[in-house]
Amino acid sequence: MSRSKSQGHRPSRRVKKAAAMDRRSFLRGMGVSLALPGFLSLGQGVAANASSTAAGGAAGATTASGAPLRMAFMSIPNGVQQKYWFPTDDFQLSETLSPLEEVKSHLQVISGLDHINATAGNDGPGDHARASATFLTGMRARKTAGADINVGVSIDQMAAQHFGDQTRFPSLELTSDLIRNSGACDSGYACAYQYNLAWSSPTTPVTPEARPRQVFERLFGAGAADERKKNFLMRQDSDRSVLDFVAEESRSLQRRLGSYDRRKFDEYREVVRDMERRLKAAEKFSEPPAVDAEAPVASIPTDFGDYMDLMYDMLLLSFQTDSTRIGTLLLAYDGSNRTFPNLGISEGHHFLTHNQREDQYATKVATIDQYYIRSFARFLKRMNETDDVDGQSLLHNSMIIYGGAIADGNRHTHENLPVVMAGHAGGALPTGRFLQAKKQPMANLFVNMLNLYGVDVDQFGDSTGRMDDLGV
Amino acid sequence: MIGGTTLLAQGLVSESSLLTAAPSQVAQDDSAAPELVAPELIQRYCFDCHGDGADEGNLSLDSVMTAADPTASTVDDHQRWWKVLKNLRSGVMPPPEMDAPTAEEQKIISDWIKFQVFQIDPANPDPGRLPVRRLNRAEYENTVNTLMGTRIDATLIFPADDSGNGFDNVGDALSFSPILMEKYLDAARMVVREAVPTETKIVPLQVFRTRDFQYPDGRRVRRDLDGKQSHQILRRFEVAEPGTFQVDVGIKLHGSFDFDSARYNATFSIDGDPKLERECGWDEYKLFEYHYDVALDEGEHQLEFQLDPIPPGESEEVVGNGGTFVRFEIAWVRVEGPAGTTKLVHPRNYERFFTRDQPPEDPEQRRAYAAEVLRQFATKAYRSEVPEETVQRLVAIAEREYERPDKSFEAGVAEAIVAVLTSPRFLFHLEVAPAYDDQTSEPSVLISETALASRLSYFLWSTMPDEELLSLAAAGKLRDQLPEQIDRMLKDDRSQQLLSNFVGQWLKTRDVIQKDVDPLAVLGAREEYEEMMAEFRRRFRRGGFRRDAEPTEEERRRRDRFQELRTVLETFDEGLKRSMQRETEMCFEYLLQEDQTLLDLLDSDYTFLNDRLARHYGIPGVQGGEMRRVTLPEGSPRGGVLTQASMLLVTANPTRTSPVKRGLFVLENLLGTPAPPAPPDIPELEASADQFEGKQPSLRELLAVHRESALCSSCHSRMDPIGLALENFNALGQWREQEHDQVIDPSGELISGESFANVVELKRILRQNHATAFYRCLTEKMLTYALGRGVEYYDQQVIDAIVEELEASGGKPSVLITGIIQSAPFQRQQVIDPNAWSQATSVDDPKYVSNSNFPAEDSAVPTVGSGEQGEQ
Repeated sequence: MSRSKSQGHRPSRRVKKAAAMDRRSFLRGMGVSLALPGFLSLGQGVAANASSTAAGGAAGATTASGAPLRMAFMSIPNGVQQKYWFPTDDFQLSETLSPLEEVKSHLQVISGLDHINATAGNDGPGDHARASATFLTGMRARKTAGADINVGVSIDQMAAQHFGDQTRFPSLELTSDLIRNSGACDSGYACAYQYNLAWSSPTTPVTPEARPRQVFERLFGAGAADERKKNFLMRQDSDRSVLDFVAEESRSLQRRLGSYDRRKFDEYREVVRDMERRLKAAEKFSEPPAVDAEAPVASIPTDFGDYMDLMYDMLLLSFQTDSTRIGTLLLAYDGSNRTFPNLGISEGHHFLTHNQREDQYATKVATIDQYYIRSFARFLKRMNETDDVDGQSLLHNSMIIYGGAIADGNRHTHENLPVVMAGHAGGALPTGRFLQAKKQPMANLFVNMLNLYGVDVDQFGDSTGRMDDLGV
Repeated sequence: MIGGTTLLAQGLVSESSLLTAAPSQVAQDDSAAPELVAPELIQRYCFDCHGDGADEGNLSLDSVMTAADPTASTVDDHQRWWKVLKNLRSGVMPPPEMDAPTAEEQKIISDWIKFQVFQIDPANPDPGRLPVRRLNRAEYENTVNTLMGTRIDATLIFPADDSGNGFDNVGDALSFSPILMEKYLDAARMVVREAVPTETKIVPLQVFRTRDFQYPDGRRVRRDLDGKQSHQILRRFEVAEPGTFQVDVGIKLHGSFDFDSARYNATFSIDGDPKLERECGWDEYKLFEYHYDVALDEGEHQLEFQLDPIPPGESEEVVGNGGTFVRFEIAWVRVEGPAGTTKLVHPRNYERFFTRDQPPEDPEQRRAYAAEVLRQFATKAYRSEVPEETVQRLVAIAEREYERPDKSFEAGVAEAIVAVLTSPRFLFHLEVAPAYDDQTSEPSVLISETALASRLSYFLWSTMPDEELLSLAAAGKLRDQLPEQIDRMLKDDRSQQLLSNFVGQWLKTRDVIQKDVDPLAVLGAREEYEEMMAEFRRRFRRGGFRRDAEPTEEERRRRDRFQELRTVLETFDEGLKRSMQRETEMCFEYLLQEDQTLLDLLDSDYTFLNDRLARHYGIPGVQGGEMRRVTLPEGSPRGGVLTQASMLLVTANPTRTSPVKRGLFVLENLLGTPAPPAPPDIPELEASADQFEGKQPSLRELLAVHRESALCSSCHSRMDPIGLALENFNALGQWREQEHDQVIDPSGELISGESFANVVELKRILRQNHATAFYRCLTEKMLTYALGRGVEYYDQQVIDAIVEELEASGGKPSVLITGIIQSAPFQRQQVIDPNAWSQATSVDDPKYVSNSNFPAEDSAVPTVGSGEQGEQ
């Protein structure tokens, strides 16, 4: 898909159009020549039943067929327009969800799940920051403007801490939201709560990457397609020697810091240790996959839909190449006041959600909800069209959660959250249904997901048990 | 601990004698002891609602007040009393309908809270404990560029930092993650590749990029050129030895994400002789390389690039609108030669890293030289002494690299420099902890002068200290020469960083550029514009406008109107927003440079404008694009932050003003009395419109409905009058008399009782009556920024002392900045018994609560799965 424009000549209109198309979907039809490394041989995982294996077994993060099992989470801001969102009892999709029609049989819409820890409780206002922080942790964020941030380990990170060593990257954190407001964030909450989904420890958010080009280079190495592998390996070698140095330096420094408040320094040391472990683990992977695609352009798409699509594409590519099996994508931070001029909406999203009593605003909210769903649907279609090692689709071998920790953005409710769960987890998950579960914490679902993934826990966040209604 | 407070703590002295004993803060002109002591005053003014069993707003002061020993109060009590202090001083409490203490009584209560409850020792305040924090994105960028002589843009590499307490240099919010560490590694490699030479001697080579060129009138050129405009840019260079030179040209064409059809011709000439002529257009960072052999005489020569836009052809469809662009960048012009010269030279930047003409051959001597070079570099990079063991580790890295067959000595050093730039000693603000001796140690000691140089430099410049600061510190003379140094630093260009980083976050000018406001919607013309667009598109499809037929009057009118709206859209672009941002920053800069009163930020008869911003404001007589100080015309409402477009814009909703947000901005950032956020589940503003029976109510009328509820009114009666006074400015910051065909009524009354007719009077009132609150607010913000931590209850005395000096000086910025730099938290560090660390982290202060969920230092981290167990 080279787009070389003949120098000195004006490109024909057709070429121009083609260029614009390519940019929007650089993955489409790309000839991915994939040398997929490091897969467990098929069938290896069958013997050990995933959900019953204690941590440490090789069966984690694999499906029954032994193919990789992926886990991904997408978060949308500000809740959804309730009237237009949920499907009918017999699983007729609502207008908002209608873009999912084509992949309907590969997903389930779930109701009845709550995130009580995102409610005000004794903490007062700040529902948006709290929602982001609670979404994947199921925990209550400590209300603080800066000092002592504390929420909980997120489900993706917990999975990564168990089985992240099976891939070159334990997990991938992405966002399609570059906007950062200066000064204070939502109602006295530190901004870390609002701009991060993944938490590797209760005090350490994992910063998401917003630039598609950087994600690509991180996964496959920088430079032209034929140099990437060399660059990737060179970087790895140099990383080793630098990290050795840095680790020794930290050890000797740590003694001298005596009386200081060292929490942030300890965090750094932990990161260094983590990277050393990862490099060690990387020795078992022979080479990075050769990806034939051109790296995405360095700039960020001006169109928000294009931007989301591109980040979804990065996630897909990382799954396809088995660079990682775990991903989070923060589509827009909770409280986002983004406008959607291409939908004819010049009011901000957050503003609109607080004015849904008026029909004209409510329909605009629904239009935005559908816009987010459209990108998600496109991603699922591609996941469904992409073959995995066992002949199934990537989507078949995944479990993907799409939703947020606010239900109704107007009243800031956190009960009966909008949740789409896509993928079959390699056949384990029932799909093609509207699962009206009994009222329970969303964290219950996370316990099931962790178990399916091979993580032997019976509790997560504020869970009260497993989610029986899920059927697995 | 001075005697007075200790005795009081033991209940041996009465409060009134304490008040005379507490230094400096007691009103000394009061010869007679105050009639009532603080506890009685608190009982009188507060207990109706917050004592004797009453606990309005969940605050009961009973338990704390009646405790025999108030100093035994817990951390929670400290936080509670701190709130009491804030509300009392800001006049929020007691509420308007209740009796309020006199200024004198207020002071007695404040002093009691500070000295008795908080146990602050004014002679020796607790400096607090600074968290070890990393460089944030801006600091990293500046430090690397200063150190390496590069010009990297860290915003393209690193994610934005999280902020805490309103600033992104607050240590507690600056976290670390593997992805960040990877980025530090990548960035270090990139910088080293660019800056550190890997050869000893080369044929003389000169390299120029876009930025190294100038316009004929001497204006500097930026990173790249806009292909939609004409440019002629020049660069002169010297040739010392005549001969044949290799000239390599690399140009990069880029553009917006979306295609733009604009085309232009580019010409490159040497000494007026065209070498390259080509047509360029939109592309995605595509690099084109050209090579020429050129004979050059000894002496001066000139490189030139010329760009000329090509007008679109008749039949061509123009693709692209205001949001898309085409750019031309000179990636390099390399002039190398003359060919075959024997006069080889060091590559650029060689002397920055290497001290000898060339590295020795003998392995032992090579190691010694590597140690010398790396010690020198690391000392600078670490902003402190470097332990010998570190130097040896670095030498080992260098040696491993330069012993590879195809690697030079310099390449080895370069690899070691990558390690330096990823070391915690480089990435963190580190100060060595003072030694502790349980017999002799004071609670706090002065930080070292080297550490002081660093703190100063990161405060005022957001970068590492320069030679002068470091050598003064090394000689132990920095503290003596602080006033001169502060003055020098503020006059230095690097103090621009204080504007973008401090003012940028305090007054939110950073948010101006990304602020999403629809100018047409603000002017109520969005629908009209959309209709016209739809109409034009329909017509265009039918074959465009017909040129032959004379347009009717109606058509002409519509076309003019369309043009007008189009202009509104196009005018409100990044250039205008940048001017808005600069206006606010330059006002602050001006005060800083001239040492004029900070009260000018509240109200002034001048501001900073260029032609576009002046037109936006409707101020005549300003020509040219340069921002400059303009004395405002008689009767102009402008002048001061309240009326600057930056503030008016960042507080807006995408389609209209928000008086509430504007009021809140003023309370939060100028008066220091933020209102708590609204409770959830509040009815929307627009929903109350039902009461107006079809008539479109003004925002003022809507807000009035809000304030009918007692719950809402407690805060809205503070915010709304200020916000409504600013309704004469629309969401773009333009003046208006009307909205929805109703004349705007800007009058109102502040909660403190002063009434005003319009924004001009409001500004005057703020300047005259609320200077103290403003000083305190600004002092707290700047102290937070200077220290990289939030202010705490134990800082109250330090802040009050600075505010007092500010008042006495009439608000001089130099007094504020010097006051902060001379303050205990900036100058001192706690001395803590290392053995008491574990206790100290958990019992005394909410900041130090240890986190039991986080793996303890050096404990094995649970790694599960087949990977190895945690180290150590």
